[in-house]
Amino acid sequence: MAQIMPLSRGKDYPKSLLNDDSTDLALFVRTTEEDITGWDRQRIVEALLRETLVDPDTAERISLEIEETVKNGAIRTITGPLIREMVNSKLLELGLEEARRMHTRLGVPLYDVEQLLIQHNKENANVPHGPEATNLTLAEGIKKEYALLKVFSDDVAEAHLKGDLHLHDLGFIDRPYCSGQSLEYIKKFGLNLPHALSMAKPAQHADVLLAHMVKFAAALQSHFAGAIGWDAVNLFYAPYLKELSDREVRQLAQMMIYEFSQQAVARGGQAIFSDINIYWEVPKHFEHVPAIGPGGEYTGKTYGEYEKDAQRFAWALFEVYREGDAAGRPFFFPKPLVHITEKFFQTEGHEKFLDLICAVAAEKGNTYFVFDRGETAKISECCRLSFKLEQSDLDDAKEPWKMRYSALQNVTINLPRIAYRAKGDDTRLFALLTKQIELAVKGHEEKRRFIEKLLDMGENGPLSMLAMKLDGQTYLRMHRVSHLVGMTGLNEMVKAHSGEELHESDEAMKFGLKVIAHMNLVCNRLGEERGLKLVLEQTPAESTAYRFAKLDLAHFRDQAEEMLQGNMETGEVYYSNSTLYNVGAPMGPITRVEREGLFHPLIEAGSITHVWLGEHQPDPSALADFVVNTFRFTNNDQIAFSPEFTSCLDCGRTSRGLADACPHCNSSHVDGITRITGYFTKVSSWNKGKLGELKDRFRNRFNN
Amino acid sequence: MTLFTKSDCSLCNQLKARYDLAALKINVEELDKGGAASLAHLAWHSLVEDARKSLPLLVLDDCSTISDFNQIDTWLAARAGQAPDVICGKGPGAGCATGACSL
Repeated sequence: MAQIMPLSRGKDYPKSLLNDDSTDLALFVRTTEEDITGWDRQRIVEALLRETLVDPDTAERISLEIEETVKNGAIRTITGPLIREMVNSKLLELGLEEARRMHTRLGVPLYDVEQLLIQHNKENANVPHGPEATNLTLAEGIKKEYALLKVFSDDVAEAHLKGDLHLHDLGFIDRPYCSGQSLEYIKKFGLNLPHALSMAKPAQHADVLLAHMVKFAAALQSHFAGAIGWDAVNLFYAPYLKELSDREVRQLAQMMIYEFSQQAVARGGQAIFSDINIYWEVPKHFEHVPAIGPGGEYTGKTYGEYEKDAQRFAWALFEVYREGDAAGRPFFFPKPLVHITEKFFQTEGHEKFLDLICAVAAEKGNTYFVFDRGETAKISECCRLSFKLEQSDLDDAKEPWKMRYSALQNVTINLPRIAYRAKGDDTRLFALLTKQIELAVKGHEEKRRFIEKLLDMGENGPLSMLAMKLDGQTYLRMHRVSHLVGMTGLNEMVKAHSGEELHESDEAMKFGLKVIAHMNLVCNRLGEERGLKLVLEQTPAESTAYRFAKLDLAHFRDQAEEMLQGNMETGEVYYSNSTLYNVGAPMGPITRVEREGLFHPLIEAGSITHVWLGEHQPDPSALADFVVNTFRFTNNDQIAFSPEFTSCLDCGRTSRGLADACPHCNSSHVDGITRITGYFTKVSSWNKGKLGELKDRFRNRFNN
Repeated sequence: MTLFTKSDCSLCNQLKARYDLAALKINVEELDKGGAASLAHLAWHSLVEDARKSLPLLVLDDCSTISDFNQIDTWLAARAGQAPDVICGKGPGAGCATGACSL
């Protein structure tokens, strides 16, 4: 079937179709007549003049040559993309590389689309397989290409493509990375989003507040690439709980967890990547803050007076986590992050609450333990990211709806590759590392300029939600955003440079600390110079650890073969995440938490140590002792315990440990469940690198 | 033994003026001049957060740490007392005069 598609908007079409609205353009292409008589070489000229800087004579010449080829060739089907490819070929022949670049058509080969429609894309284990996910992947593919061609400079884009560094979430180039906020915003302003079909006043009831929270989170997920975190959820809910019985509070907790964990209808069919920060005590910075209650009105009390209701809600949430879903599986989202502070230990009932959250950690693995030592206060989210609150943030805490934080972008550096290039020379290694950080910062500046441009378009622009100013400031407070510099494969870098892995000697560990200290100092210096809040984060590296490993195997094979973790025969290769030790190193949990924790104070935007439990179910009191000792005697920022489960897809039952068959009904129709990086998910959705890591993980046991 | 300091830290400078630290076999790390090696050394001793609160910090051979200025002063004086000739300054230190006595 012959089909003619215009190269772009043509002069023969009504003016109403020639505006700048991309919707009209899409409709226009779809309604094109299937007729060879639609050919008009003038459209080639117009496109070249509009999109590139070639002169009119050259554009005319190219159009004539293309026309000649079309007329003379045995082309039976001609399409817009084909004409564009032919024009691009001419531009190359004429040595007009820049013009070709400007005239590039972004798209996906037919074969790839077919593969995507059929096969599961496992780049992100939180994306299911389905039509919405396919839409997401296809759109991401085009936006990635756009980002690398138009948003980032050639050297930054090339560094990404080669695997020197990784620009995270390129498919979401027109969004910031992640967001942390307080419920106070919707409590005060209701659900009032730009261009929404209706607006809601501040909630009068707890269940309505939950509905607002979930919808707002879904809207935020459409504007941020990564996690949506909520600060002190149990505390900010408390004014709505005063009149509720324990049973009703429990029901609300159950609704919250199910709403977030079952909402597989958000972007790409994903559940919202959601985190809820929970405090047993009332954090100092909220103690004297006037509480907002039903209808967005002040209740006349301070949050310090809502401690008991906040505790009731925290307790109910963890009871629900402990039960798990209808099949006894752990909930994947929202991730509960419990802050352990000095005040926690001074607050009545903390022993029992610690027992409960440790029971949940032992049985289901959900609990994240976030350690805020001394006067530190922070909002945590994503797989380990945290926003440390500075004095200005603590001032904002008096009006908590202002507490909105975002990391604009994350750029991760491939550390092992630097060691391959340095060939054992310290000076060269640190010089190369500095150069890569500078490139990462350049990438940050480019992304920032792009987001600022979109944000400047205000409430009629694509980021209207982030530009809304219900409290006088844009929702996305650009003056407070962070720019993350991550690292992958410190362990393999140190091994390549010194011959030993981090856990193998004090010297290796000290060298690893020097690398991260260097990164910290360079980031601080560049941040001051460029006026950016530039901070290190342990990259979760769900796909980056695999991507870097594959690229290094391709481009630095001789060196990489010796350094990579995993199994090269099966292709299940990976680098150790961030500053983590080799996951397979046989060491006790205390040593791992203590030693890995030495890095954490140098990594200001968040770190974690994972304790892999496998099928072992420790006594909660052993975990409670472990948590207290970690808080008291180490520098570790966050810990999480990760058990493993087998979920039977036939009988629906869940059992402990990863097995090939269900121990209840013997069916082999099973799926594994455990933590991939920072969140639980089904093992069947993991990429090859993470599958390799899963096989290598050294599982710890606690003496009960 | 290592004394972690900064060049603009008034309390650190009091100790440097009062004692011949080299003669006491105490290695002085200036965190603002030592670059990554000094910061990594601090991290190795789990002292980054402590240094963010106050400097100087003294790490002894058994890896224990003294973070209180007066206790560091007392400890150094006692050590210098074993070899009194190394005392080259006088007067107890007060609080941080410049506000720069932290990392």
